[in-house]
Amino acid sequence: MAVKFFGQYLIEKGVVSREGLLKAVALQDSVNLKFGDMARSMGLITDADIDRVHDAQKTKDQHFGEMCLSLGILTKEQMQQVLARQKVTHLYIGEALVKVNAIRDEDLARHLAAFKADQAPYAVEAVAIPKGVPHAYLWEIAADLSYKMFSRVVNLTFRRGACTSITSMDRNDVVVAMQMHGTVEARYVLSVSAGVRDQIARAILKEQDVSKEPREVLVDAVMELMNIACGNIVAKAVQMGYAIEIAPPVIVAAPLAAPASGCALLFPLHTAEERVEVGIFIEKK
Amino acid sequence: MKDSVRLFVPYRSGEGKMKKKVIIVDDSIAVARQLEKIIAESDEFEVLAQARNGAEAIKLYQGKKPDIVCMDMNMPLMDGLTALRTLLALDRSAKVVMITSLGGVGDKYTEALKLGARDVISKPFQPEDVLRVLRAL
Repeated sequence: MAVKFFGQYLIEKGVVSREGLLKAVALQDSVNLKFGDMARSMGLITDADIDRVHDAQKTKDQHFGEMCLSLGILTKEQMQQVLARQKVTHLYIGEALVKVNAIRDEDLARHLAAFKADQAPYAVEAVAIPKGVPHAYLWEIAADLSYKMFSRVVNLTFRRGACTSITSMDRNDVVVAMQMHGTVEARYVLSVSAGVRDQIARAILKEQDVSKEPREVLVDAVMELMNIACGNIVAKAVQMGYAIEIAPPVIVAAPLAAPASGCALLFPLHTAEERVEVGIFIEKK
Repeated sequence: MKDSVRLFVPYRSGEGKMKKKVIIVDDSIAVARQLEKIIAESDEFEVLAQARNGAEAIKLYQGKKPDIVCMDMNMPLMDGLTALRTLLALDRSAKVVMITSLGGVGDKYTEALKLGARDVISKPFQPEDVLRVLRAL
Protein backbone atom coordinates (compact mmCIF):
# COMPACT_ATOMS: atom_id res chain seq x y z
CA MET A 1 0.00 0.00 0.00
CA ALA A 2 1.36 3.37 -0.99
CA VAL A 3 0.48 6.89 -2.07
CA LYS A 4 -1.06 6.51 -5.52
CA PHE A 5 -2.55 8.65 -8.24
CA PHE A 6 -6.03 8.03 -9.59
CA GLY A 7 -5.02 6.48 -12.94
CA GLN A 8 -2.68 4.01 -11.24
CA TYR A 9 -5.40 3.04 -8.76
CA LEU A 10 -7.87 2.37 -11.60
CA ILE A 11 -5.36 0.20 -13.48
CA GLU A 12 -4.57 -1.80 -10.35
CA LYS A 13 -8.29 -2.36 -9.75
CA GLY A 14 -8.71 -3.55 -13.33
CA VAL A 15 -11.15 -0.69 -14.06
CA VAL A 16 -9.11 0.79 -16.92
CA SER A 17 -6.50 -0.68 -19.24
CA ARG A 18 -2.96 0.59 -19.73
CA GLU A 19 -3.99 1.73 -23.23
CA GLY A 20 -7.05 3.54 -21.86
CA LEU A 21 -4.95 5.44 -19.34
CA LEU A 22 -2.36 6.38 -21.97
CA LYS A 23 -5.11 7.71 -24.28
CA ALA A 24 -6.48 9.82 -21.41
CA VAL A 25 -3.00 11.15 -20.56
CA ALA A 26 -2.41 12.03 -24.23
CA LEU A 27 -5.68 13.98 -24.20
CA GLN A 28 -4.60 15.76 -21.00
CA ASP A 29 -1.26 16.64 -22.60
CA SER A 30 -3.04 18.24 -25.55
CA VAL A 31 -5.51 20.20 -23.40
CA ASN A 32 -3.49 21.15 -20.30
CA LEU A 33 -1.11 23.63 -21.89
CA LYS A 34 2.05 24.78 -20.16
CA PHE A 35 2.16 28.45 -19.19
CA GLY A 36 4.13 29.54 -22.27
CA ASP A 37 1.96 27.59 -24.71
CA MET A 38 -1.21 28.93 -23.07
CA ALA A 39 0.08 32.53 -23.19
CA ARG A 40 0.96 32.05 -26.88
CA SER A 41 -2.46 30.54 -27.65
CA MET A 42 -4.00 33.67 -26.05
CA GLY A 43 -1.89 35.87 -28.32
CA LEU A 44 0.02 37.40 -25.40
CA ILE A 45 3.51 36.19 -26.32
CA THR A 46 5.42 35.00 -29.39
CA ASP A 47 7.78 32.08 -30.08
CA ALA A 48 10.67 34.54 -29.81
CA ASP A 49 9.47 35.53 -26.31
CA ILE A 50 9.36 31.86 -25.29
CA ASP A 51 12.96 31.41 -26.49
CA ARG A 52 13.99 34.54 -24.51
CA VAL A 53 12.40 33.15 -21.35
CA HIS A 54 14.05 29.75 -21.79
CA ASP A 55 17.45 31.42 -22.27
CA ALA A 56 16.95 33.52 -19.14
CA GLN A 57 15.90 30.43 -17.15
CA LYS A 58 19.31 28.88 -17.85
CA THR A 59 20.93 31.40 -15.52
CA LYS A 60 18.09 32.13 -13.08
CA ASP A 61 15.80 29.62 -11.38
CA GLN A 62 12.39 31.22 -11.95
CA HIS A 63 9.00 29.96 -13.12
CA PHE A 64 8.05 30.77 -16.72
CA GLY A 65 5.35 33.28 -15.72
CA GLU A 66 7.55 35.06 -13.20
CA MET A 67 10.35 35.25 -15.75
CA CYS A 68 7.91 36.84 -18.23
CA LEU A 69 7.27 39.50 -15.58
CA SER A 70 10.99 40.00 -14.89
CA LEU A 71 11.71 40.43 -18.61
CA GLY A 72 8.75 42.78 -19.14
CA ILE A 73 7.10 40.37 -21.61
CA LEU A 74 3.87 40.18 -19.62
CA THR A 75 2.17 42.46 -17.12
CA LYS A 76 1.04 41.08 -13.78
CA GLU A 77 -2.56 41.26 -14.98
CA GLN A 78 -1.76 39.28 -18.14
CA MET A 79 0.05 36.66 -16.06
CA GLN A 80 -3.05 36.29 -13.88
CA GLN A 81 -5.19 35.92 -17.02
CA VAL A 82 -3.00 33.06 -18.25
CA LEU A 83 -3.08 31.32 -14.86
CA ALA A 84 -6.86 31.71 -14.69
CA ARG A 85 -7.27 30.24 -18.20
CA GLN A 86 -5.03 27.29 -17.25
CA LYS A 87 -7.21 26.67 -14.19
CA VAL A 88 -10.52 26.92 -16.04
CA THR A 89 -9.48 24.68 -18.92
CA HIS A 90 -7.59 22.10 -16.82
CA LEU A 91 -8.71 18.56 -17.63
CA TYR A 92 -8.41 16.17 -14.71
CA ILE A 93 -7.47 12.55 -15.32
CA GLY A 94 -10.95 11.30 -14.32
CA GLU A 95 -12.61 13.63 -16.85
CA ALA A 96 -10.07 12.62 -19.50
CA LEU A 97 -10.79 8.93 -18.89
CA VAL A 98 -14.49 9.61 -19.44
CA LYS A 99 -13.78 11.58 -22.63
CA VAL A 100 -11.75 8.71 -24.14
CA ASN A 101 -14.46 6.22 -23.05
CA ALA A 102 -12.13 4.40 -20.66
CA ILE A 103 -14.73 4.77 -17.89
CA ARG A 104 -18.38 5.78 -17.89
CA ASP A 105 -19.34 9.27 -16.71
CA GLU A 106 -21.92 7.82 -14.31
CA ASP A 107 -19.24 5.65 -12.65
CA LEU A 108 -16.64 8.40 -12.15
CA ALA A 109 -17.95 9.67 -8.79
CA ARG A 110 -18.08 6.11 -7.42
CA HIS A 111 -14.50 5.38 -8.49
CA LEU A 112 -13.30 8.70 -7.05
CA ALA A 113 -14.97 7.92 -3.71
CA ALA A 114 -13.38 4.46 -3.63
CA PHE A 115 -9.99 5.98 -4.47
CA LYS A 116 -10.38 8.55 -1.70
CA ALA A 117 -11.18 5.77 0.77
CA ASP A 118 -8.17 3.74 -0.43
CA GLN A 119 -5.88 6.71 0.08
CA ALA A 120 -7.41 7.86 3.39
CA PRO A 121 -4.59 6.22 5.42
CA TYR A 122 -2.21 8.57 3.63
CA ALA A 123 -4.15 11.79 4.37
CA VAL A 124 -1.65 14.20 5.91
CA GLU A 125 -2.08 14.88 9.62
CA ALA A 126 -0.94 18.26 10.93
CA VAL A 127 2.64 18.57 12.18
CA ALA A 128 3.69 21.87 13.81
CA ILE A 129 6.61 23.43 11.89
CA PRO A 130 8.56 26.35 13.41
CA LYS A 131 7.44 29.75 12.07
CA GLY A 132 9.29 31.23 9.12
CA VAL A 133 10.38 27.93 7.56
CA PRO A 134 9.73 28.04 3.78
CA HIS A 135 7.33 25.46 2.27
CA ALA A 136 6.16 24.42 5.75
CA TYR A 137 3.35 22.24 4.36
CA LEU A 138 5.83 20.18 2.37
CA TRP A 139 7.75 19.40 5.56
CA GLU A 140 4.47 18.48 7.28
CA ILE A 141 3.91 15.97 4.47
CA ALA A 142 7.49 14.69 4.84
CA ALA A 143 7.26 14.27 8.59
CA ASP A 144 3.79 12.74 8.66
CA LEU A 145 4.51 10.21 5.90
CA SER A 146 7.81 9.31 7.59
CA TYR A 147 5.91 8.60 10.82
CA LYS A 148 3.37 6.54 8.87
CA MET A 149 6.10 4.47 7.17
CA PHE A 150 7.77 3.77 10.52
CA SER A 151 4.41 2.64 11.93
CA ARG A 152 3.16 0.64 8.96
CA VAL A 153 6.28 -0.74 7.31
CA VAL A 154 8.58 -1.12 10.33
CA ASN A 155 5.85 -1.61 12.96
CA LEU A 156 7.81 0.70 15.29
CA THR A 157 6.10 1.95 18.44
CA PHE A 158 7.04 5.57 19.08
CA ARG A 159 5.76 8.96 20.18
CA ARG A 160 6.01 11.87 17.76
CA GLY A 161 8.39 14.47 19.21
CA ALA A 162 8.00 18.21 18.59
CA CYS A 163 9.75 19.52 15.48
CA THR A 164 12.62 21.88 16.28
CA SER A 165 15.04 24.03 14.29
CA ILE A 166 18.59 22.71 14.55
CA THR A 167 22.05 23.83 13.54
CA SER A 168 23.53 20.33 13.33
CA MET A 169 22.60 16.66 13.56
CA ASP A 170 24.61 14.25 15.69
CA ARG A 171 26.11 10.95 14.56
CA ASN A 172 24.16 7.74 15.04
CA ASP A 173 24.63 4.06 14.15
CA VAL A 174 23.25 4.66 10.65
CA VAL A 175 22.70 8.04 9.02
CA VAL A 176 21.49 8.10 5.42
CA ALA A 177 20.33 10.93 3.18
CA MET A 178 18.43 11.64 0.01
CA GLN A 179 18.65 14.84 -2.02
CA MET A 180 15.43 16.53 -3.14
CA HIS A 181 15.49 18.90 -6.14
CA GLY A 182 12.84 21.09 -7.75
CA THR A 183 10.49 23.50 -6.00
CA VAL A 184 12.84 23.08 -3.06
CA GLU A 185 16.47 22.08 -2.71
CA ALA A 186 16.71 19.98 0.43
CA ARG A 187 18.26 16.93 1.98
CA TYR A 188 16.10 14.36 3.75
CA VAL A 189 18.11 12.61 6.46
CA LEU A 190 17.25 9.47 8.41
CA SER A 191 19.23 8.66 11.56
CA VAL A 192 18.69 5.44 13.51
CA SER A 193 20.39 3.60 16.35
CA ALA A 194 21.35 -0.10 16.08
CA GLY A 195 18.14 -1.59 17.52
CA VAL A 196 15.89 0.29 15.09
CA ARG A 197 18.32 -0.43 12.23
CA ASP A 198 17.77 -4.15 12.87
CA GLN A 199 14.02 -3.72 13.20
CA ILE A 200 13.96 -1.94 9.82
CA ALA A 201 16.06 -4.73 8.28
CA ARG A 202 13.68 -7.39 9.61
CA ALA A 203 10.74 -5.52 8.09
CA ILE A 204 12.33 -4.79 4.72
CA LEU A 205 13.92 -8.23 4.30
CA LYS A 206 10.86 -9.93 5.79
CA GLU A 207 13.14 -12.04 8.02
CA GLN A 208 12.67 -12.91 11.70
CA ASP A 209 16.38 -12.83 12.49
CA VAL A 210 18.94 -10.47 10.95
CA SER A 211 21.68 -10.99 13.55
CA LYS A 212 23.91 -12.77 11.02
CA GLU A 213 23.42 -10.25 8.24
CA PRO A 214 26.46 -8.16 7.28
CA ARG A 215 26.32 -4.49 8.21
CA GLU A 216 26.12 -3.60 4.51
CA VAL A 217 22.74 -5.33 4.22
CA LEU A 218 21.41 -3.74 7.42
CA VAL A 219 22.40 -0.25 6.27
CA ASP A 220 20.97 -0.97 2.82
CA ALA A 221 17.62 -1.83 4.43
CA VAL A 222 17.61 1.57 6.19
CA MET A 223 18.34 3.25 2.85
CA GLU A 224 15.46 1.35 1.28
CA LEU A 225 13.07 2.49 4.02
CA MET A 226 14.17 6.06 3.31
CA ASN A 227 13.69 5.45 -0.43
CA ILE A 228 10.13 4.23 0.22
CA ALA A 229 9.38 7.18 2.54
CA CYS A 230 10.81 9.76 0.12
CA GLY A 231 9.08 8.23 -2.92
CA ASN A 232 5.75 8.45 -1.14
CA ILE A 233 6.52 11.99 0.09
CA VAL A 234 7.26 13.05 -3.50
CA ALA A 235 4.04 11.39 -4.74
CA LYS A 236 1.99 13.26 -2.14
CA ALA A 237 3.90 16.53 -2.71
CA VAL A 238 3.29 16.34 -6.47
CA GLN A 239 -0.44 15.92 -5.81
CA MET A 240 -0.22 19.16 -3.81
CA GLY A 241 1.40 21.04 -6.69
CA TYR A 242 5.10 20.76 -5.82
CA ALA A 243 7.59 19.66 -8.48
CA ILE A 244 10.18 17.47 -6.78
CA GLU A 245 12.68 14.85 -7.92
CA ILE A 246 14.82 12.64 -5.69
CA ALA A 247 18.34 11.32 -6.13
CA PRO A 248 19.49 7.83 -5.08
CA PRO A 249 20.12 7.42 -1.31
CA VAL A 250 23.59 7.85 0.17
CA ILE A 251 25.29 7.00 3.47
CA VAL A 252 26.35 9.99 5.56
CA ALA A 253 29.58 9.52 7.50
CA ALA A 254 30.28 13.02 8.86
CA PRO A 255 28.10 15.06 11.26
CA LEU A 256 25.64 17.25 9.38
CA ALA A 257 25.39 21.03 9.73
CA ALA A 258 22.48 23.22 8.65
CA PRO A 259 23.22 24.96 5.33
CA ALA A 260 24.70 28.44 5.82
CA SER A 261 22.05 29.93 3.54
CA GLY A 262 19.13 27.82 4.76
CA CYS A 263 17.83 26.01 7.80
CA ALA A 264 17.38 22.52 9.25
CA LEU A 265 14.52 20.80 11.03
CA LEU A 266 14.58 17.82 13.35
CA PHE A 267 11.64 15.44 13.82
CA PRO A 268 12.45 13.03 16.67
CA LEU A 269 10.59 9.72 17.04
CA HIS A 270 10.67 8.90 20.75
CA THR A 271 11.00 5.21 21.60
CA ALA A 272 11.83 3.45 24.88
CA GLU A 273 15.53 2.89 24.26
CA GLU A 274 16.43 3.82 20.71
CA ARG A 275 17.27 7.06 18.93
CA VAL A 276 15.39 7.71 15.71
CA GLU A 277 15.36 11.07 13.94
CA VAL A 278 14.28 12.52 10.63
CA GLY A 279 16.12 15.66 9.61
CA ILE A 280 15.33 18.06 6.78
CA PHE A 281 18.16 20.32 5.62
CA ILE A 282 16.73 23.10 3.48
CA GLU A 283 18.77 25.27 1.12
CA LYS A 284 17.48 28.78 0.53
CA LYS A 285 16.17 29.16 -3.05
CA MET B 1 32.82 0.98 -9.84
CA LYS B 2 33.07 -2.79 -9.75
CA ASP B 3 30.57 -4.93 -11.62
CA SER B 4 27.92 -6.10 -9.16
CA VAL B 5 25.95 -8.46 -11.39
CA ARG B 6 24.89 -11.71 -9.68
CA LEU B 7 24.07 -14.77 -11.77
CA PHE B 8 21.84 -17.68 -10.75
CA VAL B 9 21.66 -21.25 -12.09
CA PRO B 10 18.42 -21.81 -14.07
CA TYR B 11 16.11 -24.34 -12.46
CA ARG B 12 13.93 -26.91 -14.24
CA SER B 13 10.80 -27.90 -12.31
CA GLY B 14 9.84 -31.55 -11.77
CA GLU B 15 7.19 -31.40 -14.48
CA GLY B 16 9.87 -30.47 -17.00
CA LYS B 17 8.37 -27.04 -17.62
CA MET B 18 10.89 -24.23 -17.72
CA LYS B 19 10.07 -21.41 -15.37
CA LYS B 20 9.99 -17.87 -16.76
CA LYS B 21 13.35 -16.23 -16.21
CA VAL B 22 13.48 -12.90 -14.44
CA ILE B 23 16.30 -10.43 -13.94
CA ILE B 24 16.10 -8.01 -11.02
CA VAL B 25 17.56 -4.53 -11.35
CA ASP B 26 17.74 -2.55 -8.10
CA ASP B 27 20.55 -0.74 -6.31
CA SER B 28 19.12 -1.93 -3.00
CA ILE B 29 20.44 -5.32 -1.87
CA ALA B 30 17.47 -5.54 0.49
CA VAL B 31 14.86 -5.09 -2.26
CA ALA B 32 16.67 -7.48 -4.59
CA ARG B 33 16.69 -10.06 -1.78
CA GLN B 34 12.99 -9.50 -1.12
CA LEU B 35 12.10 -9.91 -4.80
CA GLU B 36 14.38 -12.92 -5.16
CA LYS B 37 12.58 -14.61 -2.27
CA ILE B 38 9.11 -13.87 -3.66
CA ILE B 39 10.09 -15.15 -7.10
CA ALA B 40 12.03 -18.18 -5.83
CA GLU B 41 9.05 -19.31 -3.75
CA SER B 42 6.73 -19.20 -6.76
CA ASP B 43 6.30 -22.20 -9.08
CA GLU B 44 6.27 -20.15 -12.23
CA PHE B 45 9.30 -17.86 -12.12
CA GLU B 46 12.98 -17.95 -11.28
CA VAL B 47 15.64 -15.30 -10.88
CA LEU B 48 18.32 -15.54 -13.54
CA ALA B 49 20.50 -12.64 -12.43
CA GLN B 50 20.60 -9.35 -10.55
CA ALA B 51 22.01 -5.98 -11.60
CA ARG B 52 22.39 -2.86 -9.47
CA ASN B 53 21.96 -0.12 -12.08
CA GLY B 54 20.54 0.45 -15.54
CA ALA B 55 23.83 0.10 -17.39
CA GLU B 56 24.46 -3.33 -15.88
CA ALA B 57 20.87 -4.31 -16.68
CA ILE B 58 21.29 -3.60 -20.39
CA LYS B 59 24.50 -5.62 -20.58
CA LEU B 60 22.86 -8.44 -18.68
CA TYR B 61 19.71 -8.39 -20.82
CA GLN B 62 21.70 -8.69 -24.05
CA GLY B 63 23.70 -11.61 -22.70
CA LYS B 64 20.94 -13.53 -20.90
CA LYS B 65 17.72 -12.68 -22.79
CA PRO B 66 15.39 -13.09 -19.79
CA ASP B 67 11.61 -13.37 -20.13
CA ILE B 68 10.96 -10.52 -17.67
CA VAL B 69 12.91 -7.59 -16.21
CA CYS B 70 11.89 -6.16 -12.81
CA MET B 71 13.51 -2.72 -12.56
CA ASP B 72 13.76 0.10 -10.03
CA MET B 73 13.51 3.73 -11.23
CA ASN B 74 15.77 5.65 -8.86
CA MET B 75 19.26 4.16 -9.31
CA PRO B 76 22.79 5.55 -9.59
CA LEU B 77 24.80 5.63 -12.87
CA MET B 78 21.78 5.00 -15.08
CA ASP B 79 18.21 5.45 -13.78
CA GLY B 80 15.42 3.01 -14.53
CA LEU B 81 13.56 5.10 -17.11
CA THR B 82 16.72 5.66 -19.16
CA ALA B 83 17.49 1.95 -18.97
CA LEU B 84 13.89 1.12 -19.96
CA ARG B 85 14.15 3.39 -23.03
CA THR B 86 17.49 1.84 -24.05
CA LEU B 87 16.32 -1.70 -23.45
CA LEU B 88 13.18 -1.30 -25.54
CA ALA B 89 15.20 0.31 -28.32
CA LEU B 90 17.26 -2.89 -28.39
CA ASP B 91 14.31 -5.24 -28.07
CA ARG B 92 10.80 -3.83 -28.58
CA SER B 93 9.29 -7.04 -27.17
CA ALA B 94 11.15 -6.85 -23.83
CA LYS B 95 8.79 -7.30 -20.89
CA VAL B 96 9.81 -4.74 -18.28
CA VAL B 97 8.01 -4.10 -14.98
CA MET B 98 9.04 -1.05 -12.98
CA ILE B 99 9.12 -1.56 -9.21
CA THR B 100 9.53 1.79 -7.54
CA SER B 101 8.79 4.04 -4.60
CA LEU B 102 7.91 6.72 -7.21
CA GLY B 103 4.93 4.76 -8.60
CA GLY B 104 2.52 7.24 -7.06
CA VAL B 105 4.02 10.13 -9.02
CA GLY B 106 1.62 10.41 -11.96
CA ASP B 107 4.21 11.73 -14.44
CA LYS B 108 6.69 8.96 -13.62
CA TYR B 109 4.04 6.25 -13.76
CA THR B 110 2.65 7.37 -17.11
CA GLU B 111 6.11 8.04 -18.55
CA ALA B 112 7.07 4.44 -17.76
CA LEU B 113 3.91 3.16 -19.48
CA LYS B 114 4.42 5.49 -22.47
CA LEU B 115 7.97 4.21 -22.88
CA GLY B 116 6.66 0.66 -22.95
CA ALA B 117 6.84 -0.71 -19.41
CA ARG B 118 4.25 -3.48 -19.04
CA ASP B 119 3.32 -2.39 -15.49
CA VAL B 120 4.45 -0.33 -12.51
CA ILE B 121 4.45 -1.66 -8.94
CA SER B 122 4.66 0.82 -6.05
CA LYS B 123 6.86 0.26 -3.00
CA PRO B 124 6.15 -0.90 -0.38
CA PHE B 125 4.73 -3.99 -2.12
CA GLN B 126 3.37 -7.32 -1.00
CA PRO B 127 4.39 -10.67 -2.59
CA GLU B 128 0.94 -11.03 -4.16
CA ASP B 129 1.32 -7.61 -5.89
CA VAL B 130 4.48 -8.81 -7.63
CA LEU B 131 3.17 -12.26 -8.58
CA ARG B 132 -0.14 -10.86 -9.86
CA VAL B 133 1.72 -8.55 -12.25
CA LEU B 134 4.25 -11.17 -13.38
CA ARG B 135 1.49 -13.72 -14.06
CA ALA B 136 -0.39 -11.20 -16.21
CA LEU B 137 2.57 -10.75 -18.60
